Amino acid sequence: MSSRTLTAPLQQTMTPKDGVIIRTENLWKTYDMGAVQVHALCDVSFDIERGEYVAIMGPSGSGKSTLMNLIGCLDTPTQGKYWLNGRLVSELSDDELAYIRNKEIGFVFQTFNLLSRATALHNVELPLIYSGTPAAERLERAREALRKVELGDRMHHKPNELSGGQRQRVAIARALVNEPSIILADEPTGNLDSATGDEIMNLFDRLHQAGNTIVLVTHEHDIAARAHRIIHIRDGKVARDERVK
Amino acid sequence: MATLARARSLIHERARRLEAASFWVMAREAFWIALEGLRTHKLRSFLTLLGVVIATTTLIVVMSIINGMNLYIADHIANLGANVFVLSQYNWATSDEEWIRERHRNKPILMDDYTYLRDVLSGYKNIGASAWVQPSPQVKYKNQIIYEVNVTGETPSIIEMEQEQVDYGRFFSESEYEHSASVCFIGTDLVEKFFPNVDPIDKVIFVGGQPFRVVGVAKHIGSTLGQSQDNFVQIPLTTLQKLFSARPRMNIHIQAQDVRQMAALEDQVRAVMRSRHHLPYKEPDDFGLNASATILGVWEQLTGSIFAGGIGIVAVFMVVGGIVIMNIMLASVTERTHEIGIRKSLGARRRDILMQFVIESAVMAATGGLIGILLAIGVAKLVDVFFTASVPVKAILIGIALSTSVGLFFGIYPARQAAKLNPIEALRTDG
Repeated sequence: MSSRTLTAPLQQTMTPKDGVIIRTENLWKTYDMGAVQVHALCDVSFDIERGEYVAIMGPSGSGKSTLMNLIGCLDTPTQGKYWLNGRLVSELSDDELAYIRNKEIGFVFQTFNLLSRATALHNVELPLIYSGTPAAERLERAREALRKVELGDRMHHKPNELSGGQRQRVAIARALVNEPSIILADEPTGNLDSATGDEIMNLFDRLHQAGNTIVLVTHEHDIAARAHRIIHIRDGKVARDERVK
Repeated sequence: MATLARARSLIHERARRLEAASFWVMAREAFWIALEGLRTHKLRSFLTLLGVVIATTTLIVVMSIINGMNLYIADHIANLGANVFVLSQYNWATSDEEWIRERHRNKPILMDDYTYLRDVLSGYKNIGASAWVQPSPQVKYKNQIIYEVNVTGETPSIIEMEQEQVDYGRFFSESEYEHSASVCFIGTDLVEKFFPNVDPIDKVIFVGGQPFRVVGVAKHIGSTLGQSQDNFVQIPLTTLQKLFSARPRMNIHIQAQDVRQMAALEDQVRAVMRSRHHLPYKEPDDFGLNASATILGVWEQLTGSIFAGGIGIVAVFMVVGGIVIMNIMLASVTERTHEIGIRKSLGARRRDILMQFVIESAVMAATGGLIGILLAIGVAKLVDVFFTASVPVKAILIGIALSTSVGLFFGIYPARQAAKLNPIEALRTDG
């Protein structure tokens, strides 16, 4: 093992320095459509540091969903490298990726993606179930996460008994419960009215202030404006990377 | 390369530590999901499980009936008392062809045979004879009549070799036997009918028109195969000869001192009977020697083949039941693709999803098995009323184990389909 480490000094220097939580290096995602090859992502490279609040913006079809799937370890790049929290995850197997998703990533989806037959509490417990957390600890942590999003009194309600905003807050509690390295939100206000959307965005602000790293994927300017940095994606490439605050 | 290896080993190390804990956490989750599924789709679950239910019910009912019959045979037919065997005209448990052959050539066992054997045999503990009055006569007391009572003539020694025991009064004595006295020993059915609140001892009943004085009452036996075992009158064999039949065909009961003497004593009887019947060396016996063990052996062979047939039917049902479960599980996987996507996005590995669906299928099948068992217990109770059945614990265990295994086996394919799903595509499916 040690000799191998010595024979690969270059790669060692390429691992991200402390503080960098996401590093993508020349990421490509290519779909083979028979005769033509479609490049959903071409040569995307950027770093995101711990504690950053980043919005990834772009019109539909720009490749931002593909990028989100890669960052969220739901998919692997055709080419290029991706480090998440010091681990090179671009070449891991399905089950290894599942482990990373469980430990490092908290997803918040546009359509909430809650299990409709389970209570809010059970939905929040799910990531802990897949990390093998014992029942007592699991319940305690799930309750705590729900209290954080001010749903302490709605724990035993099922999603269809909750409003859209409440559902999204359950999803956020679920994203927080395993204390992930990043919270990855995909159009989190897309299915909410603007007042509720604001509420949810305020919650993200608070989570950011509490030290969480947040990556927001959106096509709405006023949502993206909440972030401190906006990465614009167009035609599968990083068009602009700007700090706004 | 090194970084990848390091990342991997780190992941694997932590994953391993969580492995044991994670398995049970997951298994419990899967178990509750399965029960929840059964609860929310009651009708669908019921229809799905019908095959397994029928299979389990059939299995257990067949096993219970066979068990009941075995117990019956052991208790009532084969139980001749300790170390007793019976010389009679026919073997009691034989094949059909053998039976037809015996019908043609076997000679009846008569009083002469009894007295001869009693005198020439050596070393036995007891010997006795018993003959039926045929057809079963009616028995009368005052204006009450019981039609068709089992009336047998016996030697006094028989009471020590058979299952009837004296409850009160006594069995008839040697001197009553020798003097062909008109005395009788009766079963509890007659007491209930004739003497509900009266002491039956010394009352006179009429058997086939002849008066008999009651000297004793037998202990209650109960009924088997729907036939009361307490509907009998026993009289001295000599009295039977005097009043009903001069040359009755009888069974001779011989009791050995202990188990080890049984075979030797049987050989003695066989030798004596063959010489009495002048049978040449190569001819088979023309009489039957019946011992508990041989009867039970033949009987269990018979029930074994019934059981084998039952197993065949059960296997077919189980396979059908399993395929139905597989089908519904495949539908369930399609229906729940979105859920699988959610679970995968939250960190469910392939094996977590695989286990979820396999356990779900197993729990479903086991539930079917459980329903089948309950149903079978009910059916067995019903059958026991007019026939005989007794549910062995073994059958219940086999029922549960078999149905669960069927669920596990037929759940594997759908579960693999679920585990293979791509999380992105699964999430994209409408939930």
